[in-house]
Amino acid sequence: MRRGFWLWVAALAAYAFLYLPLLIVIIYSFNDSRLNAEWVGFTWHWYNVLLHDKDMLAAAGNSLLIALASSLIATLIGTMAGIAMYRYKMRVLTFMVMTPVAMPEILLGVSLLLFFIQVLNLTLGMLSIVLAHITFSIGFVAIVVRTSLAGLDESLFEAARDCGASPWETFRHITFPLILPSVIAGGLMAFTLSLDDFVITFFTAGVGVSTLPLRIYSMIKIAVTPEVNAVSTLLMLLTLTMIVLVSRIAPNVLRWRA
Amino acid sequence: MSENPTRLSPAARLSRWLKNVASAARARRQAAEKRNLHLGNEHSEPVANAGSASAAVFRLPVKWLVSGPPFIFLLLFFVAPGLIMVLASFRYPGEFGGLAPVISVDPNALHGLTLETYGFFFSDLIYAEIFAKSFLVALAATLTCLVMAYPLALLIARSPKKSRDPMVLLVILPFASNFLIRIYAWMILLGPQAVPSLLVNGLLGTLGMAPVHLLFSPFAVLVALVYVHLPFMVLPLYTNLEKHDPVLLDAARDLGANAWQRFWRVTFPLSLPGIFSGATLVFIPVLGMFAIPDILGGTGDMLIGNLIKEQFLGTRDWPFGSTLSIMLTITVLACVWLAARLGGMGRRHA
Amino acid sequence: MRSLLLCIMLLIGNARAENVLYLYNWNNYISDETVARFEKQCACRVMQDYYSDNEEMLAKLAAGASGYDIIVPTGNAMESLIRQKALRPLDKSRLPNLRNINPAYLNTAFDPGNRFSVPYAYTLSLLGYNAEKMREQGLPTDTWAVIFEPKYLEKVKGRITVLDSQRELMAAALKYLGYSANDTDELHWKQARDLIIRAKPYWAAFNASSYIKELTVGDIWLVHGYSNDIFQANLDAQKAGRKFSIASGIPKEGAVLALDSMVLHKTGPRPDLAHQFINFMLDGSNSAELTNLIGSGNPNRDALQYIHPEIAQNPAIFPDPQHQMHLEMLRDLNRHQRRVLSRIWTEIKLK
Repeated sequence: MRRGFWLWVAALAAYAFLYLPLLIVIIYSFNDSRLNAEWVGFTWHWYNVLLHDKDMLAAAGNSLLIALASSLIATLIGTMAGIAMYRYKMRVLTFMVMTPVAMPEILLGVSLLLFFIQVLNLTLGMLSIVLAHITFSIGFVAIVVRTSLAGLDESLFEAARDCGASPWETFRHITFPLILPSVIAGGLMAFTLSLDDFVITFFTAGVGVSTLPLRIYSMIKIAVTPEVNAVSTLLMLLTLTMIVLVSRIAPNVLRWRA
Repeated sequence: MSENPTRLSPAARLSRWLKNVASAARARRQAAEKRNLHLGNEHSEPVANAGSASAAVFRLPVKWLVSGPPFIFLLLFFVAPGLIMVLASFRYPGEFGGLAPVISVDPNALHGLTLETYGFFFSDLIYAEIFAKSFLVALAATLTCLVMAYPLALLIARSPKKSRDPMVLLVILPFASNFLIRIYAWMILLGPQAVPSLLVNGLLGTLGMAPVHLLFSPFAVLVALVYVHLPFMVLPLYTNLEKHDPVLLDAARDLGANAWQRFWRVTFPLSLPGIFSGATLVFIPVLGMFAIPDILGGTGDMLIGNLIKEQFLGTRDWPFGSTLSIMLTITVLACVWLAARLGGMGRRHA
Repeated sequence: MRSLLLCIMLLIGNARAENVLYLYNWNNYISDETVARFEKQCACRVMQDYYSDNEEMLAKLAAGASGYDIIVPTGNAMESLIRQKALRPLDKSRLPNLRNINPAYLNTAFDPGNRFSVPYAYTLSLLGYNAEKMREQGLPTDTWAVIFEPKYLEKVKGRITVLDSQRELMAAALKYLGYSANDTDELHWKQARDLIIRAKPYWAAFNASSYIKELTVGDIWLVHGYSNDIFQANLDAQKAGRKFSIASGIPKEGAVLALDSMVLHKTGPRPDLAHQFINFMLDGSNSAELTNLIGSGNPNRDALQYIHPEIAQNPAIFPDPQHQMHLEMLRDLNRHQRRVLSRIWTEIKLK
């Protein structure tokens, strides 16, 4: 099995490539030096700095509020879109749902910026970010829901109809309980995506409202201290928890389906 | 249904009803299987659905109830902004940024629509050049991703069923970190005092060559682009490779093909659709990227994304930013169309 | 979890606080102590947002950012804001401390008669360098030639960063060529472009901010940067116990002086607090605090007595009259010039 051996080597190299950089970020969050250049000693100092960073905490608060609001609404609309896409095979709707997922984020960000200012005359801030996040999250929720619907047994619905159930009853008692795990997983996904988004937020945030990724960006650009590493480590932990949650609720979501 | 259903508690009634549905479903399924045997057509099911006209009439309002909200929301926040951007690309820049009005009370003020911005874009080769450059960078990133992802995807696909899921999860897991953090990680790793830099420059030193800088270079940009997008390549490839029938490889072996031939003649052609869907997932986001060249790039690393960003957040030239965005959109659509064509061809060959 | 609750409480707290002054300021451009003292004096809270580039600030304002009582733009950005009628005229009767300002910094072309603006602090765009390395290599530190001429550049290849700002870099090149930093002749711009493109292969990066760290670590030896950043880099290097010092030099060809002024934005809800803040900052001791913290230039005559002597004697912070003659403030560009410059910039980056 010489070939198998080389395959292992290449694959392990790829895994190392994926994990080493993150490991470094975590390790350096405990480094007792302002400059991220060499290892000096262990410290909790940067986590302490983080806890007292007013701006950072405010940004974290904003991020959570935005993620909560946008994921709730996106879950509702996205579930509807997923059902509509599956049930009625509406091509226009499918196009409208899938395109924001597929195109470069900068295009959505820039066009929303124009739209908010030119048409809605909206001051960029919390509301504009939430609206933007809903827009790009809908697609992800819809895809998850549609995939889960496609996995259901079609004959269940017909049977329900045969037993005299109205469409609403069928939905309420059969469809909804069956897709509920995917709906929740989609919602958690939307939450994570919102928490994580940088590009679209960058264009729709204006000033006055900062989110965690925006804070991280300006810290990376302006003053790089291990505080960035500390906040990164915590953020990784949080997202990791979300992923574990998603995989518990709907194991199939994480199994990739092209 | 012999008893009077009203006498039961709601929960019991529901559970009984569900049981009925389940048994009816079983019968339905069997019937459907029989039908499928005859027709061999997976679309027979919706056709059968449409059979009852009264149901269709009844469903119409439901259809709009379900599809209406997402439709309206996306019309408002996705389609309309796109159209506004198209309009903006035909307008004049405002004196202090933003856009000049389309209609103005003051006839001397700059207003109305113009093709001037498109003229500016097309009259100058430099913008074609930056598109070409972004294209090349995206291509390089895609190919590197492919080379790194292929062995990994192959290994996962050929591992025992039980270990596949955790292996895939390990590929997705780095996504648990923020995009910026993943870029930042390379800022630390490629610094002049970090190990990779010391290794490379130590090697160059012994060969008597001048030291190089890894950070703030096209190399740093490429590494980060690959790093951020690698899972997008691994996952579709794996999904494709997993479906391959091992019998084919055995057959090739029996016909005397060596490992190398088996790969190039059997596995690789069969995986083309996976390659194309992975390539689309890497190529398109890279085309619009601005953060990576911004943070890790050197003096020459500017992609379309950076140029667009600059027009909106630096030069305050919205019409030109919109024009660039529209050109990028057209490019992306062309790429998607091409990938679909090529992917389709790959499937036909297989 | 605790921090989460804290954030939420903070957010709610912000929404309820009545007396809030909204300040849109440069990154790291006021001392925390000064803010705390002002908050105590006015019984209010100061909320700050930051920018790191005038263009960024203007773009954000053009994108509809509002609600700021005070902004601290540089001259050319301020000029643009005035012409957009985005500013509120000052009530000078509420600013008795205005007399502290050195008249040399009043009545600029950007705001004749200071109807809208009060000088806050200034910075110079100049050369910052690792003193030991530059001495070793025998390189001059008083001319732009050192970042534009290949004969010097060869010795520090890959150890240089220049400002990632269209206006600043063009200004440096124009100055070196003997033109005004505000020259808008396209022919001169093209000469400057060629000069930059010729020097570019020797530069490590265009960098507008993290060069402070690179200088401190010792990776970068020479920068085209802002005087206060270079001051900061030296402080950091000393604190980290580095064996070298970071110094700054004003090129003899001249350089850009950026005078930042406090202005009142029209959308600010609290002009009363804003005036109070401006008068507070015009007090010599408060104004000196900033200079002592970040090494910014100070237009306040009353502040000089409170400034650490080593800063007061630093010619890169308080230039002598001979250098002062060659300093220029940047003017704003019109929409056509902006587009042309952006095109040249694209070419510079791409070549």
